[in-house]
Amino acid sequence: MIYRQGIVIGTCIFIAVVVELTLLSRLGIPGATPDLVVVTVVAIALAMGPLQGASAGFAAGVLIDLSPPSDTLVGVNAIIYLVIGFIAGYWVDPRDRTLIIIMGITSLSTGGAAFATAAVDTLLGGSRVNWAEVPWITLSAALYGLLLTPIVVPFVGWLVKKVTPEMSFS
Amino acid sequence: MLSRRTKIILATLVVASLTFVILDLRGGDGPFSSARAAVSSVLGGVQRGAATVFSPVTGFSEWWGTQVDQSGQIRTLTDDNALLSTQLVEAENDIARANELDALLRVASVGRYRVVPAEVIAVGPAQDFSWTVTIDAGTLDGVEEDMTVINGDGLVGRVLKVYNSTATVVLLVDPESSVGGRVAGSQEIGIVSGTGRQNSLQFQLLDPLGEVNAGDAIVTFGSKGGRPFAPGLPIGEVVDVSGTAGALARVATVSPYADVSQLSVVGVVVRPPREDPRDSVLPSAPAVAPTRAPVAPQTTDPTPDATSKPEVVQEDEKAATPAPAEPGN
Repeated sequence: MIYRQGIVIGTCIFIAVVVELTLLSRLGIPGATPDLVVVTVVAIALAMGPLQGASAGFAAGVLIDLSPPSDTLVGVNAIIYLVIGFIAGYWVDPRDRTLIIIMGITSLSTGGAAFATAAVDTLLGGSRVNWAEVPWITLSAALYGLLLTPIVVPFVGWLVKKVTPEMSFS
Repeated sequence: MLSRRTKIILATLVVASLTFVILDLRGGDGPFSSARAAVSSVLGGVQRGAATVFSPVTGFSEWWGTQVDQSGQIRTLTDDNALLSTQLVEAENDIARANELDALLRVASVGRYRVVPAEVIAVGPAQDFSWTVTIDAGTLDGVEEDMTVINGDGLVGRVLKVYNSTATVVLLVDPESSVGGRVAGSQEIGIVSGTGRQNSLQFQLLDPLGEVNAGDAIVTFGSKGGRPFAPGLPIGEVVDVSGTAGALARVATVSPYADVSQLSVVGVVVRPPREDPRDSVLPSAPAVAPTRAPVAPQTTDPTPDATSKPEVVQEDEKAATPAPAEPGN
């Protein structure tokens, strides 16, 4: 059922955004904020497929762009997460899904998202990005994405199987 | 491989995001202000609840701070651990909050600022390169845009956007933030701008011959009507000066008093003082002994009228400076 998929996607994204903005970003961890939202989008894409991944990415991007205290352009994160969700769902062969490969994909995604945010913001004329810090932010985002994967991806996969058992994508 | 329906949905989503970017690029309030307000009213409540639930965990951000420069602070950490083991985490958290409120009250009462206290309930992700936080006070508490935000240590930032019960604050370390500053004890003024790093600001003197030394304290010199920055608030301490006197660009590195990575209780200045408190709000410890001196001539002219403030204070910082970035943006 498409409604059930929508509810699963919406709930996961909403919780991820709230936890990232209220808990993870306040921990004062060095470097980037652990990007729970991107990891969740990748997890949804892996469990459901490219279209659901892209939709989840779009929804997550718009929500995080609109929710306080964001002061970035609306739509930037939406398009970045959309692409990530689509790629993760489309190019990953279901037969390849060992945890190691999934961790590689999520860390590429979180690192790539951090780098893409910096690049798009600069291309659109923003003056906030300090390029001397971008490599460190990208690397730490990739590392934190790696660490979040063993918790988030199996949980989302389990949830998807439980709520929408007809998704025979795995 | 992709079905026709999938392609159509994907294309729609891409076009929608690009449209959002283009619409939002036009600046101003734009079509997204109402959407932001709606999301804020929903998420604000959730964030407030979540912040309460997570408060024992986020209180440990101090612990991360010490991990970063371990070598110098092992002793402090040991002491902190001994202290922590004797007290419950919850009680510790409450005491810290009460102390911050006390410090805030001290700044507010010495400088005679009228302050609305608020708590930081969400922080923007570092990947955005913007240093913004959400506080749990909004229009219902009397907060308006461009009000000054302080904590017990000094200036924190200014209110960027305000909603019913929450507000977005842009911190003074944000690369787009710039504040008019004055060297405490002298009349040297300049621009304090954020660098995007949490422990350093840049202070650029307007007068290339002006004197500024490591250890000097920097306070705000205030904007017209106290917005966006009220006068006399401590900003930070000069740690390094580059360029010799007379060089075209004299830039000092300033370490802010307020630790923006560990904000919890802050205050929004809803009404600045009638008189510039000058340097009286500065922390008592640092080596700025002569800073008390200029307080005396100020009291000889106790006119309550705001227009009788000294010349420097009265000038709007936008007009007085060739600012590289306007503080209003």
